[in-house]
Amino acid sequence: MIEALILGMTLIVFVSRYLFLEPRLPIQPGPRLLHFLSFSIPALLAAVIAPMIFIQDTLLNLDPLNPYLVGAGTAAVCMKVTGKTLTSVTLSLLVFMIYRHLLTGS
Amino acid sequence: MTNTQHPIQQMKTGTRLILPLTIAVIPWGLLVGAYGVESGLSAVQTQLLSLSVFAGASQLVAIGMLESGAGVASILLTTLLITSRHFLYGLALRQDIQHLPAPWRVSLGFLLTDELFIIRHKHEKRFCRWFLIGAGASFYLGWNLATLAGILAGQYLPDLPSLGLDFAVVAIFIVLLVPILKHRAAWVCVTASAITAVVTHLLQLPGGLLVAMLTGMTCGYIASNKDGMQHD
Repeated sequence: MIEALILGMTLIVFVSRYLFLEPRLPIQPGPRLLHFLSFSIPALLAAVIAPMIFIQDTLLNLDPLNPYLVGAGTAAVCMKVTGKTLTSVTLSLLVFMIYRHLLTGS
Repeated sequence: MTNTQHPIQQMKTGTRLILPLTIAVIPWGLLVGAYGVESGLSAVQTQLLSLSVFAGASQLVAIGMLESGAGVASILLTTLLITSRHFLYGLALRQDIQHLPAPWRVSLGFLLTDELFIIRHKHEKRFCRWFLIGAGASFYLGWNLATLAGILAGQYLPDLPSLGLDFAVVAIFIVLLVPILKHRAAWVCVTASAITAVVTHLLQLPGGLLVAMLTGMTCGYIASNKDGMQHD
């Protein structure tokens, strides 16, 4: 039963990834559709991180001093100023961990 | 960087550029491994999920649903909802990949995760198959090794989300997002997508990620048309 479920999930995920790579599919995205699709990366990045930042334990957290928001802000400002990926990730991770430690005292 | 580089070099570049995302996904791989065995799946079944399905969100949700006694049909339907955002990636990459031989298309299709889609233009503007296969294959390896480690370590693992390791994903995604936010339309897209994602998450809709993406993309598209941007 489990193996059949895994096979079914494999097929569904693969078809969703492969379908539009198949040349025999008679569609060609035009310039308007491609322009629309050019927004998929920022939309994806925002859709993944927004719930991580603003929802904790299934509850909305709009506190401006929420550690996730403070950490995210640090990463954004650091990246904007320095343009350095690794520095921004490391610094914001440190700020997040220290700040959260200070808040919870654990 | 040009396409005249040796394929091995390009695969190495792909591996290197996706590495931050490979590292960030390790806690989730550990979680899938540990949670799978804990919920009653065998070690082989848990690993098989990562080897053949290779989709973190779908795997975690499926394990959770199995544990709560959901039926196969409802798990498959939920998988379809969660995975349907991948249709967009295939569509966006169609022009580059549809002309490649079948083994390339199938391999790149199988490896087409959120992470691979995000870094596809990090190397150079032009499409490069060796770069993409190197990035995709190394990410696949990382995901499966993390799952294996989760299966083996099982109950000895600390509560990973409570350690705050999930913040690493936030930091990396922010760093990827900042350089893209060059014009007003991108800001509109990101804001709309973020708000919709939070709302659908609170409502616990399984296809929430896709709904949020489509909302953000539509708002960004409308804003760019109003701003008179060219279709490029």
